[in-house]
Amino acid sequence: MTRADWILIVVTLALLPLLYATLWQRGGLGDQVEIWAAGQPTKILSLDQDRTVHVHGALGDSVIKIQHGKARFVSSPCSGKICIHSGWQSHSGELAACVPNRVSIEILGGKRKYDSINF
Amino acid sequence: MRSARVVFQRGLAFVLAAALLSACSHPDPVQERKFLAMGTLVEITLYGVDPSRAKTLMDNVEGQFHYMEDTWQPWQPSALARVNSLLGTTDWFSIAPSVRPLIVRSQVLSKESDNLFDPAIGKLIKLWGFDQEPRAPGPPPDAKQIAKLVADNPRMSDIHLDGIRARSDNPATVLDFGAFAKGYGIDQTIDYLKREGVHNAIINAGGDLRAIGRHGDRPWRIGIRNPRGEGVIAWVDVEGDQSVFTSGDYERFFIYKGTRYHHIMDPRTGYPARGTTSVTVIHNVAADADAAATALFVAGPKDWYRIAKAMGIHYVMLVDSSGTVHMNPAMAKRIHFEGGKTPKIELSPPL
Repeated sequence: MTRADWILIVVTLALLPLLYATLWQRGGLGDQVEIWAAGQPTKILSLDQDRTVHVHGALGDSVIKIQHGKARFVSSPCSGKICIHSGWQSHSGELAACVPNRVSIEILGGKRKYDSINF
Repeated sequence: MRSARVVFQRGLAFVLAAALLSACSHPDPVQERKFLAMGTLVEITLYGVDPSRAKTLMDNVEGQFHYMEDTWQPWQPSALARVNSLLGTTDWFSIAPSVRPLIVRSQVLSKESDNLFDPAIGKLIKLWGFDQEPRAPGPPPDAKQIAKLVADNPRMSDIHLDGIRARSDNPATVLDFGAFAKGYGIDQTIDYLKREGVHNAIINAGGDLRAIGRHGDRPWRIGIRNPRGEGVIAWVDVEGDQSVFTSGDYERFFIYKGTRYHHIMDPRTGYPARGTTSVTVIHNVAADADAAATALFVAGPKDWYRIAKAMGIHYVMLVDSSGTVHMNPAMAKRIHFEGGKTPKIELSPPL
């Protein structure tokens, strides 16, 4: 074993936690949003690309905005507007739904911080 | 010497590669499904169940939810709608077996809650337009109409059961189990999973949930969404068999001339209950947690403790309309606020 071998081993071991944190943890932030309509998943979009998506539902169009790694409902043809009041979603496993319009979004990717959300 | 070094280096490389790749080699122990039922988004989470078995179980749970939705829908043709039309006659009639157990348990909870949980006020819910989704736009109902329904005073105790027969003393009785059926449905499906030998699961219906067992070597971690903002305000760990239910004024509401009117009615006034933003309850039975969350919301910051005590609830967090958090000490020990943002807290005596 040369000194270079030992340096290589130490550097590799030191990198392990970093690799774990970056590849498996991501601080709970997701990287994709899955959009559901009529009870079925319809598309998965990257949170890296800002855009506005119109999703046709039972009552009309729900509008979903993706911006700066987050996603939210910005309009929907329901009365309660629970979906809009849910605000931005960015952590893995976070959900927002317009039940009357049967449209929902869920953040995918990253490591989940919570097993389920109560509201 | 050189060969020993090569063997050591290769061995080390193998161990490191195995460590890096080990996360990829285990099948995910969590099986999940989402679907829409009972006017909300339902999520099933199973831990440590074989995927093909999980699919069968989740198919059956989903089927049960759709059946319950069809049966307990008060405002469209259903078993409950038939019961409602016959309760109005004040004569005896044969009650649907699927509806009877909800009435039996609701009568107990209604009495314990001093009638603040009152599923008999269906007419009031309809008058306010919360029977429709979306609610037809317009002002709140006429004050005289509200006063008339409050004076009619329909209560669960007006209903009499005799075997498979039922009748009501009060023709104004119309049942709406909106504050109870979801919890009852969660109990039914969790009981089914238990009978099928599932030990670790969560069923979450519209944010209200019951969790059994744990997530592998740790408890289930439940985030509680901020009632007046984005993201999660706090989290709580649950294990064994516990339900976490929240009633909030943000769930269904309309704003008319700057005033917010939400769907949680105070049966004493006929108007949306004031003073509370949300109530979170932890309890073993989901149906009871569901009813308690509603009753404590109506009771408000001044009276929640008395009602919680009467209902046998041991964990309560109430956020009042000024943002102050009211909790009993046992709940305070379990709640962890996110990001160190601890709000103003008022602790009650132990429950």
